[in-house]
Amino acid sequence: MSSDIRKWFMKQHDKGSGSVSKTATAVPDKPSPLSSQKPVQTTQENSGRRKTSKYFATSTAKEVNSEETVKEKVEAKTPPKRKTRKSIEDLPDDIKPSPAKKLHRNDDDDDDDFVPPSKDKRSAAVKPTKKMKTGSGIQIISSSHEVDDHLEDETDEKDSETPLKAGGRGKGGRGSGATAGGRGRGGGRGGYMNFGERKDPPHKGEKEVPEGSPECLNSLTFVISGTLDSLEREEAEDLIKRHGGRVTSAVSKKTSFLLADEDVGGRKSSKANELGIPFLTEDGLFDMIRKSKPAKAQMQEEKKKRSSEKIDKPIINRSPRKVEVKDDKAVSIGRKDAAKNVKSGISPDKRKSQSGDRSSLTWTEKYRPKLPNDIIGNQQLELGYYEQVKQLHDWLMTWDEHFLHAGKKGKGKKQSDSGSKKAVLLSGSPGIGKSTSAKLVSQMIGFQAIEVNASDSRGKADAKIGKGIGGSTSNSIKELVSNEIVNSSSDWSKRQKSVLIMDEVDGMSAGDRGGVADLIASIKISKIPIICICNDRYSQKLKSLVNYCLPLNYRKPTKQQMAKRLKQIADAEGLQINEVALEELAERVNGDMRMAINQLQYMSISKSAINYDDVRQRLLSSAKDEDISPFTAVDKLFGFNGGKLRMDERIDLSMSDPDLVPLIVQGERNFNRFGGWLGKNSTMGKNLRLLEDVHVHFLASQEAKLDRATLRVDYFTLLLKQLTDPLQMMPKEVAVQKVVEFMDAYSLTQEDFDTIVELSKFKGHPNPMDNIQPAVKSALTKAYKQGSSSRVVRSADLITLPGLKKAPKKRIAAILEPVENGVSEENGEALAENEEENSDSEDADDLGLGTNADQKPQLDILSNKPKGVQVQLDLKKNGKSNAKKTPASKSRASEPADKGAQMSGSRKRKK
Amino acid sequence: MLWVDKYRPRALDKIIAHEEIAQNLKKLVSEHDCPHLLFYGPTGSGKKTLVMALLKQMFGPGVEKVKLENKMWKIDAGTRMIELELTTLSSTHHVEMNPSDAGFQDRHIVQEIIKEMARNRPVDTKGKKGFKVLVLNEVDKLSREGQHSLRRTMEKYSASCRLILCCNSSSKVTEAVRSRCLNIRVNAPTEEQIIKVLEFIGKKENLQLPPGFTARIAAQSNRNLRRAILSFETCRVQQYPFTVNQALPPLDWEQYVSEIASDIMKEQSPKRLFSVRGKIYELLGNCIPPEIILKKLLSELLKKLDSELKHEVCHWAAYYCRTIQ
Repeated sequence: MSSDIRKWFMKQHDKGSGSVSKTATAVPDKPSPLSSQKPVQTTQENSGRRKTSKYFATSTAKEVNSEETVKEKVEAKTPPKRKTRKSIEDLPDDIKPSPAKKLHRNDDDDDDDFVPPSKDKRSAAVKPTKKMKTGSGIQIISSSHEVDDHLEDETDEKDSETPLKAGGRGKGGRGSGATAGGRGRGGGRGGYMNFGERKDPPHKGEKEVPEGSPECLNSLTFVISGTLDSLEREEAEDLIKRHGGRVTSAVSKKTSFLLADEDVGGRKSSKANELGIPFLTEDGLFDMIRKSKPAKAQMQEEKKKRSSEKIDKPIINRSPRKVEVKDDKAVSIGRKDAAKNVKSGISPDKRKSQSGDRSSLTWTEKYRPKLPNDIIGNQQLELGYYEQVKQLHDWLMTWDEHFLHAGKKGKGKKQSDSGSKKAVLLSGSPGIGKSTSAKLVSQMIGFQAIEVNASDSRGKADAKIGKGIGGSTSNSIKELVSNEIVNSSSDWSKRQKSVLIMDEVDGMSAGDRGGVADLIASIKISKIPIICICNDRYSQKLKSLVNYCLPLNYRKPTKQQMAKRLKQIADAEGLQINEVALEELAERVNGDMRMAINQLQYMSISKSAINYDDVRQRLLSSAKDEDISPFTAVDKLFGFNGGKLRMDERIDLSMSDPDLVPLIVQGERNFNRFGGWLGKNSTMGKNLRLLEDVHVHFLASQEAKLDRATLRVDYFTLLLKQLTDPLQMMPKEVAVQKVVEFMDAYSLTQEDFDTIVELSKFKGHPNPMDNIQPAVKSALTKAYKQGSSSRVVRSADLITLPGLKKAPKKRIAAILEPVENGVSEENGEALAENEEENSDSEDADDLGLGTNADQKPQLDILSNKPKGVQVQLDLKKNGKSNAKKTPASKSRASEPADKGAQMSGSRKRKK
Repeated sequence: MLWVDKYRPRALDKIIAHEEIAQNLKKLVSEHDCPHLLFYGPTGSGKKTLVMALLKQMFGPGVEKVKLENKMWKIDAGTRMIELELTTLSSTHHVEMNPSDAGFQDRHIVQEIIKEMARNRPVDTKGKKGFKVLVLNEVDKLSREGQHSLRRTMEKYSASCRLILCCNSSSKVTEAVRSRCLNIRVNAPTEEQIIKVLEFIGKKENLQLPPGFTARIAAQSNRNLRRAILSFETCRVQQYPFTVNQALPPLDWEQYVSEIASDIMKEQSPKRLFSVRGKIYELLGNCIPPEIILKKLLSELLKKLDSELKHEVCHWAAYYCRTIQ
């Protein structure tokens, strides 16, 4: 989002410069300065209001009202203010260019140099920011304001500033003071934001940014120091880069100029002095640029020509391309939709480019490195650590010797080499070459690579009762890893060795339950090497996996390396692009080579020569999304250009976290409650999930049909009592028995027990678990676990398997069958009634139903289906779970059956 | 098992609290043709019990064998694919679900599920019901769009799929939907009915009930049968044999809310505000729905306030209750 804002800002800037000439005349003449405050203020107000109305359709009355309060405060200002205004007025004269130059400069209207009132307690500390070249001391309140205590006033002020600021920006530079103040305010807002804020350029936006030819600053390196006169740091960098120059952050021999408008006397300037590097002011820079450029009008024409060419060019009218062309034109308008269009333009573009128009492949495929040496970035020895690719290579080579043969020597010696692991984990940000290198290396050594990635389901193999998931990927992987391939020609060296590449391992835990654990188990028994690839090595899901793998962290390639490679590709494709643009591209993609190549490809579709601007514009609009935290959102809302944000952007920002943002906006006083609120919020989320679990178990037990709220509101109290009172009052064994029975009736687990206790905790209320002795608690746990081996399972997540701490979640369907106990009870009751019916309906009518609760148990035996499903657990450590229907189930089923049979038999006899 | 569930009637004949409704339903179903139904009434009055019993009457006991599933649906909504997940209870004859769980995309659920069900028209073996039943709970929480799509699909697919809707207040269900269903109002049971039920349970459990005891429970339950049975059991757990004047314990969160109310009444300072806020957070963190907190708090406060404030407090409570939704 920040890039969006900046884009907005940039566009405004251009627009501002373009439209200044028109608006200059519209502005009222400079009022006689300071003869009375009122006229000044009224003009200010007017202009402010005008600006408000022009730029914000949604200006509220509030803003207008707040102007009044602002006015009062202005009146209360001290003489220094007046001086300020006066000196500011002098400024425009100085800044006005020599009439020889036809360029437009902003007429700085002093009426807009209205410094917003500040409540800052450090008014004394209002520093003169810096001396202008003209030498007039301008006092701009750019110091940070302290955070105010008055809630409404603060918001009022902010509101009042925004229209002024906005107007200022829009007209290319009025209200620089306002903006400066606003910026300062934004800077000072709470210590947690905007550390080390630089002071604002005092004439922000006042000077028109010149445009030169794109090569005028070629081969020049600049270092920017301190605050410039009218450009923000980023703007200056941008300007320089656009004209072919380079910007570095430290002074060195290669630096051509040190760009500074004030001598702060810091490190940079002292070093520059040492090295004899010339200082350059902003104006000097502008001169340089302007000198070399052709007339601006020509530039515009050229641009137009180019874009019109492009319109004619493709007859293959792909809509995304059209949009791109429009984008070029729409530079000055800078709508947000442009971003969206570009974004949507990417995906169809990609598909289409793949389907083949000019190039039959995407460039990422075409230029995929074919040799490990081509993989940039993870080769360098100079970086001081061992290269990853080479390491991978060595590991793979020696895998066989380590693990296959070692296994033959003796069982105990598996991990004899402390460093050798059976699997390796490649981690790093996306697009840097992990999968590529894995495949390449395995090819090179002669392994056959079998790749499984996040698109295959890799969940726990065969975790369902009674249903073998034959042919699932996970099962076949298990086969792979546990079998060696027996070759008919018993020549070991010729055997086709395989490597398993598990790509996107960190994506595994979402849909595939227990996948990571399964993987670890596979690694332990595996007879082939396994390469795992992930993005985030430190993610929670992979914590345990890392212990079993040799970790290789891939680094992002440097800008230079990427730029070099991109240049190669561009040359190969006949695309003209200059160095600076390449470096910008390399920088923006954050090390993601794949994205860089893709971007290059898409840009090349519409143009054959790419310059810096295109890169920048393209990447600004499709920059990787950042997550906006509520703090940054508020910061932006109230920051110096917060007023310029359009309504929808503002709404987006504030809705980025609808709970927190309003709270923060209300002021610092609420801040100390944040911790509490945030904590509670997350607790609530967690509790909701736990409650849902309990709810599902409840439903699964078929006893009650509740919704979640009723469960919590009505049932919990009693549940808690039923669960804990026996433990408190009755003797241990009886109590435990009772409680376990109760839990079974509702198919509750131990976690549910805990959840119920947890959710019933209130401050000041006694905790029911307090009076229970630990011995009782442990007895309960024991009894529950014992029961679990023969318990009727009603929900898939109630299966506990060895090796897994937490059972897989309930994403799997739970199959329920009527409980045997229930059946026997009901049979007892219903038997009398259904006697006659059943004898008639002996031909089982609904075969699909299986056993029917009311049918005679005899039929159950006949139908041969066990009523309850029991999970027999293998206590072996290999982590495999076998869910067998034990004969015990049949015998249990037959017990009530026998009873029933006896009863019915007796009845028959009676008859 | 709790008494609430143990003694829940499973057949229409055994329903104590709403005998006439049960009889009517029985007649309706016996003619093998059943329109769409809408059951509405306050919570704890027996709607779901009625629905279950009705289903059993229609389809036989096979309907009780249900499968609990967390179904994932991938829905193509024009520009993008939406993934939704819902918990459904289904048997061979019916599917029960809660579409408002899906949030604001519930209309997709409605459209998709009903379509799916309508396609699989069951083969009726004995010339019996050739349709499936779809039970939707909490339809008053469905969004506007959801209800509109419901209405359309109700008409289109009515041959193969009957709907039974359950909600708390029918005012939130749009007219269109209401007019397509047979509306069955399930009253909150009267106190006599509650007493009858409680005595029935007491008999089954072989309990000695002192006179007037059940009356007291019924009175305190606010005509909510579920609450009544639950508090009955709570008393049993707490102290048996019953004494005549045994205190009826309130629910834990209710107690907490009354503490909050007394806190508010005692002191009205920012500090107190802070602590009250903390307590309310705690209630929320324990997953008590906010409207319920608000209502309970209101009733507690009303007991203690003097009449001028009562009006205002009611007004604001209603206002905020509305805005919560």
